[in-house]
Amino acid sequence: MSAIEALYIFDEHNTCVLEHVWNGRPPSAQILLPLYLAHQSPRPSLIYISNTNPASLIYSIVQDRLLFLSPSSVDTDPLAHLEFLHRVADVLEDFLGSPLLSQKIETSYDVIAQLLGEMCDGGTVATTEPNALRDVVEAPSWMNKLLGGVGLPSASPSITPSSSGAFSSIPRQGISSNANNSNSIAIPWRRNNVRHTSNELYVDIIETLHVTLSPSGRPLSAFAHGTIAFTAKISGVPDLLLALTAPGGAHSLASILQLPVFHPCVRLARWKERPGELSFVPPDGRFLLAGYEVDLLGPDYLGRAVASPKMGMNLNIPASVEVRTGLGATGSDFEVRLLLDPKFASKGGLSGGRDAFSKPTGFGAKAGGTSSHPIVEDILIRIPIAGGVRNLSELRPSKGEAHYSPGDSAVEWRVAGRDASALSGNLHSSGAGVVATLRCTVVGAQDDEEDESGGAGLEIKAETWEYDDTGGAYQNKKADKESVIDEKNSVDRSAKRIKSNRTLMPGSASISFQVKGWLASGIKVDKLVIDTQRSRGVGANMQPYKGVKYLTVSKDGVEIRC
Amino acid sequence: MESISRVTSMLETARDLTLEAARDASFARKSSTRPLPPVQLKKLLDSRHDKEILDGLRKVLSMSYKHQPTLQYFSNIIKNIASPNLEIKKLVYAYLVQHAEEAPDTALLSINTIQKSLSDSNPQLRALALRTMSSIRVPVISQIVALGIKRGVGDMSPYVRKAAALAIPKCYRLDPSTMPLLVEHLSTLLGDKQYYVAGAAVMAFLELCPERMDLIHPHYRSLVRKIVDMDEWGQLATMRLMLLYARKSFPKRTKRVKKTKSVGDQERKPRKGFYDSESSEDEAGGASEEHGEEVLILDPDLDLFLRSIHPLLQSRTSAVIIAVARCYLYLGNTTYLDNAIGPLITLLRSAPDIQEVALYNIIQICLHYPQAFVSYASHFLVRATDSPSIQDLKLEILTLIFSYSPPTTRSLILAELSHFTTSSNPHLVRSAVQAIGRCAQSSPTTQLSTQCLKLLLKQLSSPDAHLVASSLDVIRHLIQRDPQAHVKTIVRLAKSLDALTAPAARASIIWLVGEFASVDPEHNIAADVLRILVKGYAGETDAVRAQTVLLAAKVYLQYLLATKKEDSVPEQPKNEDSTIEEGGWSPTATTPETSKLDSNHPIPLLYQHTLLLARYTPSYDLRDRARLYRSLLSTPTTSTALASLLLLADKPVPLAPSPSQSRKDFVLGSASLVIGEQSGTGGLKGYEALPPWVKEGEEPDPKLRDEVGGRGEYVSIGAAGGNVAGVSAGERLDGATGSKGGLGVGRVNGAGGKEKTLDDWLDEESEEEESSSGEEESGEEESEEESGVEYETESEEDNEGEEGRLVK
Repeated sequence: MSAIEALYIFDEHNTCVLEHVWNGRPPSAQILLPLYLAHQSPRPSLIYISNTNPASLIYSIVQDRLLFLSPSSVDTDPLAHLEFLHRVADVLEDFLGSPLLSQKIETSYDVIAQLLGEMCDGGTVATTEPNALRDVVEAPSWMNKLLGGVGLPSASPSITPSSSGAFSSIPRQGISSNANNSNSIAIPWRRNNVRHTSNELYVDIIETLHVTLSPSGRPLSAFAHGTIAFTAKISGVPDLLLALTAPGGAHSLASILQLPVFHPCVRLARWKERPGELSFVPPDGRFLLAGYEVDLLGPDYLGRAVASPKMGMNLNIPASVEVRTGLGATGSDFEVRLLLDPKFASKGGLSGGRDAFSKPTGFGAKAGGTSSHPIVEDILIRIPIAGGVRNLSELRPSKGEAHYSPGDSAVEWRVAGRDASALSGNLHSSGAGVVATLRCTVVGAQDDEEDESGGAGLEIKAETWEYDDTGGAYQNKKADKESVIDEKNSVDRSAKRIKSNRTLMPGSASISFQVKGWLASGIKVDKLVIDTQRSRGVGANMQPYKGVKYLTVSKDGVEIRC
Repeated sequence: MESISRVTSMLETARDLTLEAARDASFARKSSTRPLPPVQLKKLLDSRHDKEILDGLRKVLSMSYKHQPTLQYFSNIIKNIASPNLEIKKLVYAYLVQHAEEAPDTALLSINTIQKSLSDSNPQLRALALRTMSSIRVPVISQIVALGIKRGVGDMSPYVRKAAALAIPKCYRLDPSTMPLLVEHLSTLLGDKQYYVAGAAVMAFLELCPERMDLIHPHYRSLVRKIVDMDEWGQLATMRLMLLYARKSFPKRTKRVKKTKSVGDQERKPRKGFYDSESSEDEAGGASEEHGEEVLILDPDLDLFLRSIHPLLQSRTSAVIIAVARCYLYLGNTTYLDNAIGPLITLLRSAPDIQEVALYNIIQICLHYPQAFVSYASHFLVRATDSPSIQDLKLEILTLIFSYSPPTTRSLILAELSHFTTSSNPHLVRSAVQAIGRCAQSSPTTQLSTQCLKLLLKQLSSPDAHLVASSLDVIRHLIQRDPQAHVKTIVRLAKSLDALTAPAARASIIWLVGEFASVDPEHNIAADVLRILVKGYAGETDAVRAQTVLLAAKVYLQYLLATKKEDSVPEQPKNEDSTIEEGGWSPTATTPETSKLDSNHPIPLLYQHTLLLARYTPSYDLRDRARLYRSLLSTPTTSTALASLLLLADKPVPLAPSPSQSRKDFVLGSASLVIGEQSGTGGLKGYEALPPWVKEGEEPDPKLRDEVGGRGEYVSIGAAGGNVAGVSAGERLDGATGSKGGLGVGRVNGAGGKEKTLDDWLDEESEEEESSSGEEESGEEESEEESGVEYETESEEDNEGEEGRLVK
């Protein structure tokens, strides 16, 4: 078990910013890094390197462009090791502010040393709950955190830790303050003595789309991976109840919301009994309450699709793409069309901030502006380009900006949300429609060599083999075929070009976007209440500020094949 | 579950910009952290003001993380260890742990002060001191550390007891001779009422003495009940332990039941061979083998464990889900494993690095139990953004479940695979083609494998030479498995020689023709193919020429054999006749009655011609081959036997197993499984194979697992019991006092020994707060102390008792 030997963190220039050894005599960071980099990118998260002493397994994760490496000389549970690295990254981010930057690490070695000491004890994972760590390790001073959180490089010497001693006289809530009752560990994930001047609760439900469309545009699979992020800033030990609903009512939630996973604080029994109700005592601060999955196509989609091939595409996604390849005289063009669902078009550029409930009772009015008018933002279409393509001679987007330079692996076409919504505004009547198109012409490496190589060797015929059972007629066909070959050779140059251009066509296209105030699954927060009976240290008539945010994200998530 | 920072990054739109800015700034900023001159730094460390000391410590820590020498400040730092300021103390400890080894003598100076901290009133400080002391890697202090652990084990704070548990393996590493003492402490900690401590104790146990299963018996049930409340790491360790424990303590009992047409029957049917190999030892009389199927009988205690880890399938930690699946796979029956399939799929939602490792594990289960994943087929569709290794793994899963899928899923899988054969990524193309080949192999019906073959044949028309070559490779494998069924295919392939240009593909086809054209003597096209090939010999590459020469040799040999046969059975019509006559190539079709070796027969002529061509080929390898064949076949009457041994021997059928088949023996959830062959046959260092099931009759007495009630009062429980545990008076008292002040100590299995989760406790919290009376509060410390001591003796007795039983 205690096989986590060390942690090395490298910044984006591959310089080592942290080297912490827990156990054993692992190879140093300077030795491991070149061996790790020797592997071809994308590098697997677990690499075995036998030419170090001792032979080591290297686990790696990348977080905010920082590379975390951790060697181990014995066989361990790889997932546990990787999870641990993720926890370290999360905790560092929690303490040092997000995003995690190498400067932040370099200026807070004192905090990191304590954290790493607490998290892993002699190679055995000890405490990884951020709240428990908050109890024993102090976050960097507020001044530092404030500036670090903004992400400014702390060039000014006045805020580096060396001189932040000036603030150490500020009374701190170190260990000493809660020493009296720390004999007991009540709730492992919640820190003791939480105090907040203003009490706030935020629920962020984020769904990430993973949709695969067949070349014909029909969906093959469509999943939304949901995550419920929760931010609790409440004094005492509150006991919360979060109820979700789905379009078909609360009872259909169980079938919509599949394969859930929960933070340890969630009472599983309650969920089993009444799906959709999450009863929990939250950790302090931000955490992930639950994760789930929604099959947007519904159960047994394949069966239904085969049974009725003409079945309409009932997939409800705000934006998708269509690709047509092999266009033009020589088949060297392809066209990508952006399709927007008019429902998500809106003229008013509403930004979906937190729509807050004014009062806990005011849940009915929660929708605010964004939920009723969700709009698609940050549209980016990526079209991976085949390796044989030398260049794209023409990029003609009808809207937005497309970018490709020779050597890139993909064309990126960005359509500003304003453009898209303005365009689709015109489409209100005509249903889902094409908003913009991008047309490209590929130039393959073979185009030049063609003349030299022409004539040599046999050409492939356009004929495809049928698996017929007429092998007996073999001999007779022969004569015809030979003549056909000659004919082909002389006649059809352009067919050949179409053929060769076909290999240069993109094989897929994917679209990224985000929609605020809308969830693909249609799940909504029904209510969020504090159970005052069960809570402790919570004022009877405390009215916390509650906020709910919905966000649907596609990160290259909608993919069409062509 | 995704990690919080990944989710946060989606919510923060400015994050990328910040990262960008930081990267730009980091160039400019590199030089700004220059070290202070040593004199000044020492002055800071020796200062009277906490502020300045802290400053100095921070500087030294930064230097040490940046690999600057800091040893010269060691003594200045150690001086501050007695500082009343917590902040300072913690930083000194942190430095000490990292650098004690480099200056052991100076480090020893600090031991005394740390030891004093062990009796500090603040439990967190006590824990910190214990942890620091045990982390100092100076062997001399092992006795002091052992003493510290002893104190820690009896401490009333769970923090300290946990630190003591984690210190045990470190102490052992310092000095292995402390082992007996440590084992004693460990057995106390294993029975700790706090899940928090027990989890750490299990980790230490696995590190220190995983073979001492006798220590686990008395705590088995309590550990099993605590597992839900432990943190992830404790859960992982406990499941690892219980897997070993169960294999060593519960003999595998199976019974045969009549096959019933139940719902699950259809699923279970194809999975013979999973448990069969293991159970064959137990099953002496296999008379009923045809009539019934094997069902695992679970020991009640084992069942208790398997049931208790069921809620963990909803864990956010991927490793925990895999660990549960591992327990179900190696201990439980299929009903349990079925429950784990869905949660395994959830791992595909996590970060790509975890996804990859999870997929290796899913394949491992899929190899044993493919039909369970059929309904999740669409989760394994390959995405363009996946990394190549993930794509390969997904394709493999699709092929594994292929033959178990309903027709719609099958067509989806085939469509998927054929789509990727048109990809521009050669690696993916090869994987997809091989996957189609595996699908064809595993297809239950010939119709399906025909469909696969059709797909592959379609690839032959592709202009991509690479694709053609790899699909032909797969086709060749398929034909070799059953040449009789593919006679027509060979004819068709021979036809395609006209159009194909890729040398590797041509060579492959020629080989196939030479090998299998003779299967159907009526339509032997080999000689004719040879004729056509010889015409274009000059334009071929060496690989094709070599195959042409080989084909010529084979054709000639077959001709020789046929003429020889005719000698003995004269009335047999000649093999080659049909083809050759139709070709019209030879004007004089030789009749069987002419002399055996008619030099005017087209085949010998063709053969001689080919050898001549080969003789003047630049490649010496080819010329050598030609020479070999010439001498081999020079004396037609005598050497045919030897030649046919050489040339016409049956080739072994190539098998294209699933790529992960080679990893099948590795235990689920191990690093060796992910690394695969590179880790060697025995796995990586530290890899432990699964122990075999204990033999019937050799298992430890189940009574050993009966709970002793913890506090001297023994209440016997029936072997099947488990829910009704003895409750001693002391335990009740503990239970009551636990809720004092709202934050209880040993509440987990407080009243009634019944399983009680943290949630239950929170539920009941409010009522108990009122009910717990004041007078019990005072007793808390004493009872804690007492329990520790009493328990120790208890477990010793128990060990003796067990030994006695084992001897018997």
